[in-house]
Amino acid sequence: MSYDVLFIIHQGVIMKRLVFSVLILMGTVFSACAKKESNNIVIWHSFTQGARKDFFDNMARKFEAENPGVKIEIEVFPWATFQTKWTTGLSTGSLPDISTGLPTQVADMIRADLLLPLNDVIDSIGRADFYEAPLYAFTKDEKNYGISLYSHAHVLWYRKDILAKNGITPPKTWDELAKAVSTLTKVPDYYGLSFPMAKTDYLSTLFLLLTAERSGDHILEKDGTVVLTSPNMIRNIKYWVDIYKKGSPQSSINFATKEQSDLFYKGKAVFDFNSGFHIGGIIQNSPELSNQIAAVPVPMWKTGDPDNGVIASHIPIVIWKQTKNAKIAKQFLAYILKKENYVPFLHSVPAGMLSTLKSISESEEFYNNPIIAAHRDDVKVIQQAVALGKAPGLVFGPQKGTGIIANQGVIEEMFQNIILNNVPVEKAAKDAEDRLNKLINEIK
Amino acid sequence: MTSFFKRTIGRISEGISQPGFWFVFPAGLIVSSLLIYPIFYNIIISFSNKNLLSQSWEFIGWENYLYILADPAFYTALGVSLKWTAASIFLQLLVGFTLALMLNRVKKFQGFFRAALIIPWAFPGIIIALSWQWILNDIYGFLNNMLMNLNLISSPIYFLSDHKIVFITALCINVWFGAPLMMVNILSALQTVPAEQYEAIQIDGAGPLQAFYHITLRHIRTVIGLLLVLRTIWVFNNFEFLFLLTGGGPGTVTETLPMYAYKTGWMLQQLGRASAVTMLLLIILLAVCLVYFYFLDKWEKEDIYE
Amino acid sequence: MNKQHLRITSFICYAALSIYIVISVFPLLWLFFSSFKTPQELTKNTVNLLPQAPTLYYYKRIFFEYKFFGNILNSLVISLSTTLIAIIVSSLAAYGIIRFYPRTGKLMTRFLVTTYMFPPILLAIPYSAIITNLGLINTHVGVIITYLSFSIPFAIWLLLGFFVKVPLEIEEAAMLDGASRFKIFYKIALPIAMPGIIATAIYTFINAWNEFLFALILINSSRKMPVSVGLYSLVGGEIIEWGDIMAASSLTILPSVIFFLIIQNKIASGLAQGSVK
Repeated sequence: MSYDVLFIIHQGVIMKRLVFSVLILMGTVFSACAKKESNNIVIWHSFTQGARKDFFDNMARKFEAENPGVKIEIEVFPWATFQTKWTTGLSTGSLPDISTGLPTQVADMIRADLLLPLNDVIDSIGRADFYEAPLYAFTKDEKNYGISLYSHAHVLWYRKDILAKNGITPPKTWDELAKAVSTLTKVPDYYGLSFPMAKTDYLSTLFLLLTAERSGDHILEKDGTVVLTSPNMIRNIKYWVDIYKKGSPQSSINFATKEQSDLFYKGKAVFDFNSGFHIGGIIQNSPELSNQIAAVPVPMWKTGDPDNGVIASHIPIVIWKQTKNAKIAKQFLAYILKKENYVPFLHSVPAGMLSTLKSISESEEFYNNPIIAAHRDDVKVIQQAVALGKAPGLVFGPQKGTGIIANQGVIEEMFQNIILNNVPVEKAAKDAEDRLNKLINEIK
Repeated sequence: MTSFFKRTIGRISEGISQPGFWFVFPAGLIVSSLLIYPIFYNIIISFSNKNLLSQSWEFIGWENYLYILADPAFYTALGVSLKWTAASIFLQLLVGFTLALMLNRVKKFQGFFRAALIIPWAFPGIIIALSWQWILNDIYGFLNNMLMNLNLISSPIYFLSDHKIVFITALCINVWFGAPLMMVNILSALQTVPAEQYEAIQIDGAGPLQAFYHITLRHIRTVIGLLLVLRTIWVFNNFEFLFLLTGGGPGTVTETLPMYAYKTGWMLQQLGRASAVTMLLLIILLAVCLVYFYFLDKWEKEDIYE
Repeated sequence: MNKQHLRITSFICYAALSIYIVISVFPLLWLFFSSFKTPQELTKNTVNLLPQAPTLYYYKRIFFEYKFFGNILNSLVISLSTTLIAIIVSSLAAYGIIRFYPRTGKLMTRFLVTTYMFPPILLAIPYSAIITNLGLINTHVGVIITYLSFSIPFAIWLLLGFFVKVPLEIEEAAMLDGASRFKIFYKIALPIAMPGIIATAIYTFINAWNEFLFALILINSSRKMPVSVGLYSLVGGEIIEWGDIMAASSLTILPSVIFFLIIQNKIASGLAQGSVK
């Protein structure tokens, strides 16, 4: 028996040491927590690359220098992981003070009452200077829960060289576009226009909205329901199925943003719908094409239709309700929107990011950039589209269905069903409409 | 009552005073404390209307389960999951077994071959997805360009987007990834089969096939059984492999149950319902494992009586 | 079987194995060599394995712009600690099961298998709640604790196969000399099982190295993130840089591959022995 007793004593010593070391460990952890200064601001953003990432870092250091005692921590979470991050952060209470977000995510945050109203920040900068559409997208009950950090809008990009060679002028109507797509598709050299349908993204929804907004439809209507089966919408759906058949790579069934853009960047697509981000993408991937691309407004259904705007994206920055330093957080937001700070930020993706403040869009400082200057006409086209454009799912402000139409892939699946399984358009549209409305109704 | 407590305390102290207790205690403590809470949390939540974004929730009985069991998308995902798991496991076993048998025959360079064959197993999920997406890309991918250069095909094959072949593509990649583990384990089991037994059965006049069935298979079936348990659980539960490779598409051809649960919980924010899905997933897995264990027990008994 | 017959079958085996090796190794080689290609070559030169003008361009970006080195250090800290703790705890447990609870041992190991039945995604929220309540959110310690939950069961499982081979006779002799149970474990059983322990350790290390989901959820600050999450940051950008990804992937995967090559025969015998009880 003696060895058993010995063993237990020995174990006892080990256990004591173990417990002791665990205590020390926890002690250091807690003391590390306790040391945190009260003027700490944590910012999460999703700009993983290059100049925009640097911008936030520089802003933080500058702000710290001008406001002694304040410390700003910046963390980067790519868009793809941000959803998991903030939803689990919510259940554990580890959320930042300030963050960027996708518009649809911010709609969810507003619904769950997680954000701080920013009316005072907006008023202090001058409410009249803000474009209305971006403000409205994040407003509920007169409270502005988000400031658009930048906006961009979809326009029709085309390859000047290919159109000129074939004697085609930039299309003004959807029919002209369809015709051009089918003439210009020359596989494997290039495709007319790729129609992306990956369920991990919501590009089909965006493309469908391009045609829908031109016929006065919004998919998510004012009463909060989804409409896909109206005669207009059926025509809109059929249009894209037709484009897929006429001039889209077969693999675009699984295209998400990166594959879709890559195709255009590598010179393999004649047309594409995107914002000014395409300029940077082309310069980086195929510099030789940078003079060969140009933008025109999204086509109309009939020539002479009034331009009521199509879709625009406003990328919001928000302050979380649980912040302990609301005052400093608000100061920081106002700080980055100051002209001397904001213009360099917009220049970090030249022409890709357009100002949320009218005074800056019109300023000479904004145009004082080689790329923006070289694409002045394109930027004007996009600016016009931004001013009139409506945020997808947010046309009537944040609604229950805002996130649903973007993140469930139902519309993407509808197109895939039509194309892969030959489901009749009317039936596929009805199924998708029912499914989306059912999902929306289930939300409390 | 007091006597019950005394007895329990007596038992506990007796248990603690056993020398073995302290050996298994730390592991038992860590594993159970890290699993008991999550399991009960999920069971409870699965009967509630917990939303990802709200802190308050209430019990709603079996509603989540009834909803799921009436949802056609659940059955589609279940079908894909079953098909995916069965096909992956069968092919991994087939390829792994064949490779092991061949390696066992090979005398020179066995170490080299084995080392080279195991490499896929070191790939994390995200790199599996990225590297294959890049290799199979229809425009700049190696495989399509190679096949076109060799004039074997005239237009690229859409390995990861053609709904007719995407399942097979994913399956092949899963076999590429999973067969090595089967192979190394079966190989080392093969090497424990005593050579005398082969001689004995040959003297009895049995052919190579009979020898394979009566000796080889007989000897290694428990290893295979255990491998099957492990791999079935892994493949059935795995979320990231297909999610990163195909995102469940095109359509729903590669959307498995874990993905369905993810979409319900994280995209639709219906956490209660997602927990119910995972509880169902657990029940299915348990049932499958019980079948495996039944056979394992039977084989082990037979092995002992021989 | 005659000699010629044998020769033919072994030739077939060599040929088939060689073909299969190409398939199994190709992605690694493609990844590795692509990471040295220039940006132009990546999209234009699609069929040559070797880069025509090798460049360290992407590696420089990975190290200087994305500070991947810090991620690697974090991964090392997390994976090594997980491995160390898991191996100590699991060796004790595996030995204890074999020596003291041989009968309940089988049930215990079955229970260990069932711990694998919980999809990690289901554990995400409860785990983050536990770690938050412990005050360990955004610390390496918190991540290590969650990693232990899946490392320990598997390590025990593998180690059972190695400890079962430790001969009882030597232990009995030592016991007669008055050695304590613990001393016997650590002076006799441990050295005998050492090759298996090393194999298990490396396996545990690789699993911890590759883990992604829990690290993403539990760590908030990029200075503390492991490589798996760092790698995802490269993929998640709006403009995808295949070169960056190839370089970062190569850096992430090479340690695992090297470790795997060292242990591949050990890990197998562990599983095989563990089952043939």
